[in-house]
Amino acid sequence: MKSKFVFFSIIILLLFSNKILADDKALAGADFEYGQHLSGECVTCHNSTGLGQGIPKITGMNTAVFIKKILAYKTKEKDNAVMQMVADRLGEEEINSLALYLSKTK
Amino acid sequence: MAKITRRSFVGIMAASTTALSMPSIAFGALPRVVVIGGGAGGATAAKYIAKDSKGAVDVTLVEASKRYYTCFFSNLYLGDFRNYGSIGHNYYGLAVNHGVNMVHEWASSVNGAEKKVYLGSGATVSYDKLVISPGIDLKFNSVNGYSPEAQSIMPHAWKSGTQVQLLKNQVKGMKKGGTFVMVPPPNPYRCPPGPYERISMIAHQFKKTNPTAKIVVLDPKNKFSKQGLFMEGWQKHYPGMIEWISADTHGGIKKINTSTMEFETDLDTFKADAASVIPAQQAGRIAMNAGVNKGDWCPIVPASMQSQADENIYVLGDASIAKSMPKSGFSANSQAKVAANHIRGSLTGSKVFAPRFANTCWSLVATNDGIKVGANYDAKPDKINKTSGFISKTGEDSNLRKATYEESIGWYSGITSDMFS
Ligand SMILES: Cc1cc2nc3c(=O)[nH]c(=O)nc-3n(C[C@H](O)[C@H](O)[C@H](O)COP(=O)(O)OP(=O)(O)OC[C@H]3O[C@@H](n4cnc5c(N)ncnc54)[C@H](O)[C@@H]3O)c2cc1C
Repeated sequence: MKSKFVFFSIIILLLFSNKILADDKALAGADFEYGQHLSGECVTCHNSTGLGQGIPKITGMNTAVFIKKILAYKTKEKDNAVMQMVADRLGEEEINSLALYLSKTK
Repeated sequence: MAKITRRSFVGIMAASTTALSMPSIAFGALPRVVVIGGGAGGATAAKYIAKDSKGAVDVTLVEASKRYYTCFFSNLYLGDFRNYGSIGHNYYGLAVNHGVNMVHEWASSVNGAEKKVYLGSGATVSYDKLVISPGIDLKFNSVNGYSPEAQSIMPHAWKSGTQVQLLKNQVKGMKKGGTFVMVPPPNPYRCPPGPYERISMIAHQFKKTNPTAKIVVLDPKNKFSKQGLFMEGWQKHYPGMIEWISADTHGGIKKINTSTMEFETDLDTFKADAASVIPAQQAGRIAMNAGVNKGDWCPIVPASMQSQADENIYVLGDASIAKSMPKSGFSANSQAKVAANHIRGSLTGSKVFAPRFANTCWSLVATNDGIKVGANYDAKPDKINKTSGFISKTGEDSNLRKATYEESIGWYSGITSDMFS
């Protein structure tokens, strides 16, 4: 019984670390909890129920799409004074954490 | 031994880390947070503490009204861009979705030493941490001749409630070609561009129904928020209708007379057919009662929004001295998230992240002519420090102004669902 438990625990840990490694490669420094915390800043304007007019829904967004958009605001390729300001103070860890959290949120 | 499935194994792990991170809390007794005021600051704080603690913190929100009518977008109601019902919100979502315990009563006093809030009914609520976000109270006697009785004759409409309906009736009922006099408040006050957006929306109303009407603004200040943008818009949309008179020009409002509707200044005596007077402001009374004020407003610790006078009390929104943030709903919402994270951290051991603050204020000048101003802030030991910002430009093209207006509608929908659902 005990050895079975240890065996399954190891399997689970392996599964987990594999997952983390995979995410790590794509999203350096991404942390779901940090992303959730940071998203508090987004939902002041981006309606969490997706009913907002004039401001798009961002939850459920693909990580690559989200990152591309934020970077375009950061480099001021994409226009919008509010979003340029928001993107301006987001570093890589913040952007990746947000991407991770938002992609996994409805 | 019961069979351990993957789910129960993970569950046990989660339960044990939670227990370890809450060393000081006895089993069964949840830490208690009481929030006074269910507006932009208080409703947001109550929601985020309840939502993110997932039942590990007991949250009680003490709010006098069952329905919160936002001051934001009340100007759009004056201009017929919104109806009154659309700016009213209830607290069911906070109770049902997040388990916030709603108490619709007036908090009459706070005893910080005993950590108790006394309610109008005589009941008391105890807290481990208290959040105070009561908004503003008006200093009626800051304008000689103005009083609580006079507010029905010259509505201030600067607090949530029926005042704005009264003001709208008076604007719509004003005699043809009459004069509307507006007295904006002196600094600091809630919503720096608010009085000027109001002037724009009243002008918009007059343009439709009373095009020969005049608006005279007797300002106790010499400049105001987004001044260039508003002035440009007034010239463009309402030429000749609005006369803004600075403090240096009129020399000070000596006295107002609510029966003759006269405004006496050094320059002249102005006679109104309808008027709005917005007096000076101070933190909501309960903050003074709790002893967390220094003069009219409440000093806070920038990194957490804790009162400088009592570490178990947090003061949010208009009542706080959150320099350099303006007193706005957006600011209050932003501050509430910083405080909620800090409170939850200190009660449950959850992670406390570096504080980040932001604000953007949109204003509507005329149909599809929106403007905005915003900034990011971080916490310095002595103040909330502006790190970057932007403002709409004069002469912007009409597509951008329309997009800015549409963005403000999205923001309203976003912030109100963030507060209440
Ligand atoms: C005309 C106008 C336009 C505005 N436009 C904008 C805008 O476009 N954007 C923006 O961001 N901001 C805007 N604002 C500013 C915004 O409304 C305030 O800054 C914001 O509401 C402040 O939030 P708060 O939590 O400090 O107070 P409030 O939102 O005023 O909430 C305080 C709450 O506390 C309750 N309360 C007070 N004392 C007690 C007590 N003792 N017991 C129980 N309950 C109590 C009150 O009933 C109230 O519901 C505008 C304001 C005005 C007047």
